[in-house]
Amino acid sequence: MSTHYQAIVIGAGPAGSSAALTMARAGLDVALVERGAYPGEKNMFGGILHRMTSIEEVLPDFWTRAPLERHIAKKGTTFMTGEASFHVQHETVNFDRAPYNGYTVFRPRFDRWLAEEAVAAGATLITRATVDDLVRTDGRIAGVTIVGRSGQLNAPVVIAADGVLSFTAKKAGLRQPKFDAGQMAVGVKALFDMPREVIDDRFGLARDQGFANEFVGCTGGVRGGGFLYTNYDSLSLGLVFHLASLRTSGKTPYDLLNQFMEQPQVAKLLRGGRLQEYSAHLIPEGGYHMVPELFGNGILVAGDAAALCNATGVNLEGINLASHSGILAGNTVIEAHQRQDFSTTTLKRYKERLDLSWVMKDLKGFRNAPKMLHIERIYNEYPELVCSMMEHLYRIDGTPKTSIPKMILREVRAKVGLKHAISDALTAWRAL
Amino acid sequence: MNIDEIFDNTSFTIDREPHIVLDYAVCSSCDNRGCVNSCPARCYTWSQEEQKMTFVHDGCLECGTCYVVCQRDAFTRWRYPRGGFGVAYRMT
Repeated sequence: MSTHYQAIVIGAGPAGSSAALTMARAGLDVALVERGAYPGEKNMFGGILHRMTSIEEVLPDFWTRAPLERHIAKKGTTFMTGEASFHVQHETVNFDRAPYNGYTVFRPRFDRWLAEEAVAAGATLITRATVDDLVRTDGRIAGVTIVGRSGQLNAPVVIAADGVLSFTAKKAGLRQPKFDAGQMAVGVKALFDMPREVIDDRFGLARDQGFANEFVGCTGGVRGGGFLYTNYDSLSLGLVFHLASLRTSGKTPYDLLNQFMEQPQVAKLLRGGRLQEYSAHLIPEGGYHMVPELFGNGILVAGDAAALCNATGVNLEGINLASHSGILAGNTVIEAHQRQDFSTTTLKRYKERLDLSWVMKDLKGFRNAPKMLHIERIYNEYPELVCSMMEHLYRIDGTPKTSIPKMILREVRAKVGLKHAISDALTAWRAL
Repeated sequence: MNIDEIFDNTSFTIDREPHIVLDYAVCSSCDNRGCVNSCPARCYTWSQEEQKMTFVHDGCLECGTCYVVCQRDAFTRWRYPRGGFGVAYRMT
């Protein structure tokens, strides 16, 4: 194993492999360092691989070559309580034709494939290598030491794409030394085997169509939500919890997941499914305010490591932001090699590029969205309100009906309180 | 579903050397212990009787929840397992 490279990328996830691919294509000698036995071994996500226009530029036939599952043609949102649920759904033929708007994927397959594309372009993938520390020369980052496979790798520049906890960014002094539990969420997920035809029939799907659903009111009052995604012949079902709220709740993620699976309407969707795998991962949900310093002398930070995750509550985006930031970091390193300058003078161009891109524009535009997600009543009272109003609307039991506006007012008063309802509506409006 | 079944389906290559080490004295004096309920892998157990924390790294999903929720900096070591060890997702 060579020990000198022109660039080191830590982490073969979407950000790291996109960066390595970009640099290898430009002829740089790149080491892509991964702690798993294969890329994707440690990775899970809740959801959808949204459209990635920047990777399409690097790999024009991306969508035909990548190991994807179903394309998302149908999206739903469910407000639920222990007994009831109210469901809204959107479907359009426009999401049923290429270029598709998003796909479900298995990370151990997808991440591995993307890393192999970087290898095909000339990058050196080093698996089973956990980065232990940064090597510094003359006050700047000049390499890494690894454990598992042990040794030292040297390069004039390192891209930290080592995920949400990024110990690399911490050691480089670029991120806060202590995370704020209010800016982090944990996702837990169960994967169920289910025959393809059963999934098609149950969710009203044809061909490669996929369905994605989000749930509110399924987290036992903990701030968070649920999700369900269809793969070809399996379902991903899970919950996401804000850590500050989970910590004080005294409730456990797996008990709440179990309750969610047993909720009568959810249980029907899972019927016949066989549990295959349980997984968990953190999500940097703090948005724009959580983004660390993105560059230092000899180092750039990309993907989850840079908290580039857009959890607005409508779409939950991460991989597309990670991949785009990886490409921009890669392009900046290419420029640094042309100038032979790896100081912040050149590396700050990465932040400039990112600021000009949709990644930072979206994060900035939705910087207050996390505030809305801190309205506690979203997770219990409002789903109960919606379900109870619907029950009143539909119920016919031989008693005279209240007028609808009166009924709504009465229910809002009883379940939430008028003052709260008005202030929450204002908070939500401002946040979005 | 029996909760134990949830955990049985995930694969691990367990390192003898734990990647997370706690100073249990800190845990004993902690009044929060959010790690116990927050850890998605049930790695932390608090015994009220013995006033003692137990941590087992075997089933750790390497998510970092404990690292973030701990308010007392109880970790004398918190790092990812050596390359090649720890949780191994197949398809998630």
